Amino acid sequence: MIPEPPSPDGAIPAIREELARVRAAMQRIEAALTLLENGPEPERPARARTRPDRYYLVLLGVYERGRQGVDSEQFGRLGAEHGYDRRGLGGYFVGARASLRRDGDRIHLTAEGLALIDEYLEAAQA
Amino acid sequence: MSRAFGPLISPAQLAEHLGAPNLVVLEVNERPLVYNQGHIRGAHNVDWHVDLQDPVLRDVPGAAALRALWSRVGITRASDVVLYGDQHNWYAAYGYWLFRMFGLKRLAILDGGRQAWLQADLPKDRDIPAAVSSTPPNPKLDPSLRASARDVVALVRAGGNLVDVRSAAEYRGDIIAEPGYLQEGAQRAGHIPGATHFPWELAIADDGRFQGPDRLRELLRGRGLDEGAPAISYCRIGERSAHTWFVLSELLGMRDVRNYDGSWSEWGSMVGLPVVKGPEAGALPGSVPSLEAA
Repeated sequence: MIPEPPSPDGAIPAIREELARVRAAMQRIEAALTLLENGPEPERPARARTRPDRYYLVLLGVYERGRQGVDSEQFGRLGAEHGYDRRGLGGYFVGARASLRRDGDRIHLTAEGLALIDEYLEAAQA
Repeated sequence: MSRAFGPLISPAQLAEHLGAPNLVVLEVNERPLVYNQGHIRGAHNVDWHVDLQDPVLRDVPGAAALRALWSRVGITRASDVVLYGDQHNWYAAYGYWLFRMFGLKRLAILDGGRQAWLQADLPKDRDIPAAVSSTPPNPKLDPSLRASARDVVALVRAGGNLVDVRSAAEYRGDIIAEPGYLQEGAQRAGHIPGATHFPWELAIADDGRFQGPDRLRELLRGRGLDEGAPAISYCRIGERSAHTWFVLSELLGMRDVRNYDGSWSEWGSMVGLPVVKGPEAGALPGSVPSLEAA
């Protein structure tokens, strides 16, 4: 129902606002209908964290420093902030599913590293 | 906040004005959940998947949905809106472009984005501000800020700047999308004939903030781009190209700059459109029948 406008001056904005709400509701209904018509998406199990928090927090620290990545010095400091000895940080670069890679003097997240960040953020949200 | 506002605001300036009555601060991240790790006090989280896209069509949101968003985050006609985010403001720039296209004037981007705020050791907050119900202005789409595939062909034919802002490997056609972005694929790799490669990150200095105008102009000239000619930027899905749109249009004041938000995920998937592989810009064929009248 359209609310009673406070005054003739306020009528147009009030009606527009109501119209915006109706349109937004229509969009939500349309999206819900599409979902019903296509069937529900298979339920995705919540991702379980497979490593200690500090492992993810180092990756998140690299992510938060942007696309340029970090240098070895920054990475060492980041590790130390989360209780890692510098020598204990090599594991991030090892194996086919390494979460970090070196590119010259910069350290960047791999696709695996980004996926681990998503895993951490989703688990933190749950 | 003074009447002069935007297009950039520094972390120190923003920190000084937090809590000002007309200030609306919005965080727009590539990963929206990063917001929950701490954000600028009072900042609303804008989820680009949900808030800055149509939920069904591949399109920008409709005016009604955008008005509902503006109302939810408290935007009014008097608001000064600051956008910031992760990944050097990719999606904050997309939000800026979208809001500008729908008529908001008093907009700014936090220089350096979320990264600069954190590096400046400015305080983070975990409290989530309540949804507001303001009376925002009515969004009205200005199509002159947006390019279609047809516009791209017309611009190249007219000798304008078509700017591919993706990585070198994407431009050359070595890869379709960078690792970690499999959902942003296309059917073919390469670039649009006539496109100049000007990767978005050229506009970013070592400290993560935007380069100054003189340096930006030097970089444009270095890539053979003409500041006096119309320009269209594109990337894969339109967010990095919004970042470069912001640089060209808002920081350098170039006229007639448009974002091709369909970008490579559209061009590289459409049947019959010409594609160039390799480092050279290449040229459009004599006609592109699906986009040009015979």
